[in-house]
Amino acid sequence: MDSDHMQIVGRLDAVTKKFGSHLVLDGISLEIRAGEVTALLGPNGAGKTTAVGLLTGRLTPDSGKVDLFGLDPSRPLARARMGVMLQSAGLPDVLTVRELVTLQSGYYRNPREVSETIALAGLEGLEKRAAGKLSGGQQRRLHYALAICGQPDLLVLDEPTTGLDHEARRHLWTTVREEADSGAAVLLTTHYLEEADALADRILVIAEGRIVADDAPAGIKASVGGCTIRCRTALTDAHLAALPGVRSVARSGAAATLLVADAAAGARALLAADPALTDLTISAASLEEALANLSTSIRKAA
Amino acid sequence: MATALANPLGVFARESVAELRKNLRLPQFALPTIITPAVFYGLFAIALNKGGPDAAAYSLATFGVFAATGPALFGFGAGVAVERESGLIELKRVSPLPGGAYVVAKLVSAAAMAALALVLIYGLSLVGGVRFPAETWAKLIAVHLVAVVPFALIGFAIGMRMGAKGSIAAANAFYLGFSILGGLWMPITIMPPWMQQVAWATPSFHLGQLALSIIGVPPEGSILAHIAALVGITILAAWFAVGGWRKSPA
Repeated sequence: MDSDHMQIVGRLDAVTKKFGSHLVLDGISLEIRAGEVTALLGPNGAGKTTAVGLLTGRLTPDSGKVDLFGLDPSRPLARARMGVMLQSAGLPDVLTVRELVTLQSGYYRNPREVSETIALAGLEGLEKRAAGKLSGGQQRRLHYALAICGQPDLLVLDEPTTGLDHEARRHLWTTVREEADSGAAVLLTTHYLEEADALADRILVIAEGRIVADDAPAGIKASVGGCTIRCRTALTDAHLAALPGVRSVARSGAAATLLVADAAAGARALLAADPALTDLTISAASLEEALANLSTSIRKAA
Repeated sequence: MATALANPLGVFARESVAELRKNLRLPQFALPTIITPAVFYGLFAIALNKGGPDAAAYSLATFGVFAATGPALFGFGAGVAVERESGLIELKRVSPLPGGAYVVAKLVSAAAMAALALVLIYGLSLVGGVRFPAETWAKLIAVHLVAVVPFALIGFAIGMRMGAKGSIAAANAFYLGFSILGGLWMPITIMPPWMQQVAWATPSFHLGQLALSIIGVPPEGSILAHIAALVGITILAAWFAVGGWRKSPA
């Protein structure tokens, strides 16, 4: 796939944004391309929602440039081909699912049939229910319906699966994938590596307001994935850090926590070095652990 | 596909209908705003009336302005603050909906709620023996409906700058303050002189005086001064409201 020739629908160019004295985005550049799912992956507070706010015209950058379909996103015309699902939006309690979808569809020039939108969002049977009487998961699906009702060329989803159960999450992933396969650009923010991996063609890892990695899911998983090994051992930190495949070591008393690339290889090396170790547990590294490791290695390289 | 917006006329109309539907489905909001003016007017101007149809007509002019304050101050003030806090305004602002449509829909809906309240007190005034030529009715209805605008903008300014709870408190304070100081319940001539001076700062006083002049009651001061003051207050409120809308991150 020749990405240079894919149509760019949205772009942040060397954008900075401060709230008060807090620098939330520190010179971020990114491009959103048609037919591609781009995931913005990072821990809470990394600047994902601020980046979405800039792209959707809700915020203006302190410096740098934001471009949406070649226009300034604060103009309604720039937003005519975009659908947005915010992290939380309280919909009017007394309006029904069908009324809200119909109203939102009317904002667009070529909307989907309302019944089609409702089916895609998995809201069949709830058309006449007031928004205030929906469960949390159903409200998220309604938010999703409002984002896709206009057949947008750019779909922006800010933490879309928060509050969804496993089955609803899978369903949403499938329909988002279909949107991209039919040519739409999708920008998704998430703090789940699993979600970015399942959906995205490209993952941008964001930490402390900067893009720290930009790669296909396989590449990102290789650099931020990995496992955490916990055990009680008499070995020193220096000895542990020198074992093959160990990326970082943390310790409290006799309990050590190692971040390793490969669980089996790491555990084998560890057991060989200290046959007397106890309380061994192995788990997948959390994104926060992986990112801490990634940004440490970037700082070292810089 | 070319980039294009939906037909704006249709968007404004549908947004207004949705807004009105929202209001009418909230009886805790709709009933007090529609019925309170009629209850007050029926009690003070009809049931306890000792001055006959003339007194009922005088009260109709000012209670008509009172009927416009409730929907405008509460629909806008509290409504905007609640929808800003819940994130609904943010959702509207990232959609292709033109910013003006949200505001116009709220204004249309407030005017419609005021119209319902006005129908009730006009009906009561007829029972009380009030009779006007058609032209006087037309002018009176126009002033009573126009009254929604300055109050709505004041409510909008409150809603964009205060939280939901603060906005409800502020809207209540303005609702009572404008009614009393503006002479909507009792003529301001029976109040202490300092209150009569404060009245000039309220839109309700000027609207009340305009309505009274239409039914033939000589106004305090000149009509032009009232119109000028009203325009000034409205522009100031609009300026505060638009500033809040621009500054708000949501």
